[in-house]
Amino acid sequence: MSASKGSITNLNPKTKSIHRTLSAAKALLLCAAVFALLGAGDPATRFSEIGHRMMCVCGCNQILLECNHVGCPDSDGMRNELMASVSRGDSDSLVEQGFVQKYGPTVLAAPTMKGFDRMAYILPLVALFLGFGLVVTIVRTWKNRPAPAIAGGLRPVRGAELEQFRDQAGKETDL
Amino acid sequence: MMWLIICLALAVATFFYVFYLPGRLFLGPEKTRAGYLRERKDAVYENLRDLNFEHKAGKVPDADYTSLKSSLQDEAATLLAEIARLETNPVPQKGTRS
Amino acid sequence: MAEIGSFALLLALALSVYTFVAGIVALAFQKQTPQPAPQSGSQITHRSGASASVNDSSLVALLRRGSERIGETARRAGIATFAAVFLAAVVLVLCAFRDDFSIAYIFHHSNRDLSGPYKFAVLWSGQEGSLLFWSLLLAAYGFVLRLRYKTDPRLFAYASVVLAGVQIFFLMLVNFAANPFGILEGPLRPDGSGLNPLLQYPEMVIHPPMLYLGYVGFTVPFAFALGALIMKYPGEKWIHITRRWTMVTWAFLTCGVFLGAHWAYSVLGWGGYWGWDPVENASLMPWLTGTAFLHSVMMQEKRGMLKMWNMWLVFATFWLAILGTFLTRSGIISSVHAFAQSSIGGWFAWFLALSFVVFVFFFFKNKSHLISEHKLESLMSRESSFLFNNLLFVLLCFTVLWGTWFPKISELVQGNKVTVGGPFYNRVAIPVALLLLILTAIGPLLAWRKTSLESLKRNFLWPTVGAIAVAIFLMLTPQKWGAPFGLKPWQDIAYFYSLMAIGLSVLVTLTVASEFYRGGRVISKHTGQNMFASMVQLTHRNTRRYGGYIVHFGVVVVIIGFAGSAFNQDKEMEMKSGDKLTIGAYTLVCRSSTEDDNPNYFSQWAILDVYKGGKQIDAMTPERRFYHASQQTSTMPFIRSTLNEDLYLVFEGVNQDNGRPILRAHLNPLVMWVWMGVWIILGGTILALVPNAPAPVRVPAPARLQQQAQPAPVATGD
Repeated sequence: MSASKGSITNLNPKTKSIHRTLSAAKALLLCAAVFALLGAGDPATRFSEIGHRMMCVCGCNQILLECNHVGCPDSDGMRNELMASVSRGDSDSLVEQGFVQKYGPTVLAAPTMKGFDRMAYILPLVALFLGFGLVVTIVRTWKNRPAPAIAGGLRPVRGAELEQFRDQAGKETDL
Repeated sequence: MMWLIICLALAVATFFYVFYLPGRLFLGPEKTRAGYLRERKDAVYENLRDLNFEHKAGKVPDADYTSLKSSLQDEAATLLAEIARLETNPVPQKGTRS
Repeated sequence: MAEIGSFALLLALALSVYTFVAGIVALAFQKQTPQPAPQSGSQITHRSGASASVNDSSLVALLRRGSERIGETARRAGIATFAAVFLAAVVLVLCAFRDDFSIAYIFHHSNRDLSGPYKFAVLWSGQEGSLLFWSLLLAAYGFVLRLRYKTDPRLFAYASVVLAGVQIFFLMLVNFAANPFGILEGPLRPDGSGLNPLLQYPEMVIHPPMLYLGYVGFTVPFAFALGALIMKYPGEKWIHITRRWTMVTWAFLTCGVFLGAHWAYSVLGWGGYWGWDPVENASLMPWLTGTAFLHSVMMQEKRGMLKMWNMWLVFATFWLAILGTFLTRSGIISSVHAFAQSSIGGWFAWFLALSFVVFVFFFFKNKSHLISEHKLESLMSRESSFLFNNLLFVLLCFTVLWGTWFPKISELVQGNKVTVGGPFYNRVAIPVALLLLILTAIGPLLAWRKTSLESLKRNFLWPTVGAIAVAIFLMLTPQKWGAPFGLKPWQDIAYFYSLMAIGLSVLVTLTVASEFYRGGRVISKHTGQNMFASMVQLTHRNTRRYGGYIVHFGVVVVIIGFAGSAFNQDKEMEMKSGDKLTIGAYTLVCRSSTEDDNPNYFSQWAILDVYKGGKQIDAMTPERRFYHASQQTSTMPFIRSTLNEDLYLVFEGVNQDNGRPILRAHLNPLVMWVWMGVWIILGGTILALVPNAPAPVRVPAPARLQQQAQPAPVATGD
């Protein structure tokens, strides 16, 4: 914030006012973010949130806070570590990094948003958009294509014969 | 030893069941072109009834109803005409058999 | 005994091979020597081997007659395959009841003190037995199919050959790779090592058969589809013939998937019913493509469209069912409840590759047979809604497949495994599922071929208003009313999803109701009956359509159940007598804890009184068992279910220092809705299987056509 204040002095009044507005907006955003963090900062909530994003590493394949077997060699220790980190006020990413370093990347219950892991999320999204585009294209193409010839090598009928059979079909299917 | 006898009896019984064919074989209806066209006619009729119903239920507006019904009736008429031709003037056909 | 079982399996394999080879030979000859076609109409040709008439002298007729007889022997061999596999299964079950621990499979999966039903369930409790069971179910489907061959003998003969091909694979597995009758080496043991305790639960006796019936069952529509493609079946009647097979199979698979979920909920003791484990995913994938197929096949049946796509879809469903088995049996993907790792993974990989090659070969060979017969009239039509529906189902399936394989792919690409668990699927799959729910609401309002925007708006208006009103009501109500009230979407993304899910569920319900109402009104006008009677008649005249709508309603009830999970709570506590634990509106007071021993297991449990609003309403007894034979423990959660919420209590263990029980309580709102929804889905499917009631034909057809005229239903279509 101070850097932007400093830079304002060298600008004309109009630009200054724009910058002031921007700074105010930034400040507001920051406040909102702080409040949001404060809201999320309740240690019990954070413990639960982060704990549900981690796995127990004993091999039970369960979410850390859902691991339910007494005598599990890992989950109690991990929960205590998590509680300690949350109480210390470590940020979410710091807590997660610490766990990844200690237990390996499989401790996180879902791929991260970094590196190749991002592909896990990107590919289904790409498939959704591509698929959507494809279906729209298909619908348009099929709509605009000429009516296919009647299957089975049938000749269209004309004249009185057409009218007679059209009439018959109409009557037989009337409600 | 007992199991050997059971297995042997089993094999003989199976062999007998599979290969002893004394009766008449059921070969089923041979699908004819007229039969095939009738199936298609039934499908078009179903679509027509469906359209009538959806129109009455308020899903298809009058303008669309008229044009859709007309095209379905054309399709049905083509099929009915061909079926009628086949029935009045039976020619051995194997067009739809494969 | 074991010798008879082994022999029966070998005999079954030989019979399957014969069904396959003789079936191909018969069909090949019949193709070369076509029967002289009757001139017109459908005539049923009966021919006896002895009295075959006029053309006997010609070689062609002789060859044809010979091929017909070979075809009949192939069909009978297929029927006998079932008898042989059935005998093998009976022998295995008898061995389990006779505690014949000389058989390795019985030794590993049973023990003397195991109760009767579980001894029966030994048949599908392990690798070898479940493969035998799979073969048995496949043979049973084949048995029914070959008995019903008179519907369309040629089509059924083709389908029978395809089924026999799959049957050969499974029988080769049980004969050469995973023989359930293998003899245990070394001295005869006095007792077996017992059945996995997690499987000692009543539902486990029915869950695998249901799931397998679903998995295996999709082989039947696939066999018909491939058969129809190979023989270039004229027309779409084969879909009509297989429709019931597909629906029954789908119902079994649905039942199997949800029984699995219910079993996980009632036995595993972690408080949830779906953990996105690879084994669960394996059952979900064919369900998703199978559901897509059930929808899109209607376009083929009614409009002669999407033929190629349907062919791929039914193949994918069959293939994914086998792939699921491969995933769980090969150990290639780690899972909590996968079978022991073994060498049969290679067999499955080869079979998957082979079936893919065979399918692709015939697809490209006969592709010209699958040309679409109609064009699409409008974007606003039932047809295009089915296209989007298929896109979303396939996309969901792809997401699940991608998530299941991603750990393996990540290991290959970046050298380390990652976990792809619930949080991933919640983030990726839920939005797609919500889109699907929107389509479920809109789809029924669209007419086939074309719907005007005006009529869509008109029909959509009131359901939308209703859904928005319900959503606003849920947002404004206080949270203390319990789930799903007080859903403030800005507080948590889970609340947002829940609110969307419930709102859209209401929308679907209202559009389904409006469909019944509008249809009922048309019938009512014609017949003068009251509205209810008209709706009943409407449903009876088109069971598939209105049964389908009831299935949709069942699905939204399930979705509402899922939406309740946003409010799940849990608490854990070590409790001595008199201690209190409060969760939601409930207070649990520990009365006592105790233990007991019986020949099969040692159990510990606690007795807790449940209070709500100061009044005692119930007592709960969560239990934990230690099975002697397998030396494994298992929890038996106590679940108190109501329409609002489940109080789910787990006896987690005992503190070794002071002997006090450790209990965990979960409060899971709306879970009962999931199970109720499944019952509604099954009810709707059964209704859809009921034949349509004929409606009187108002205009008599001309004399010539009258012979062929079928009673015409009033309301049709799907």
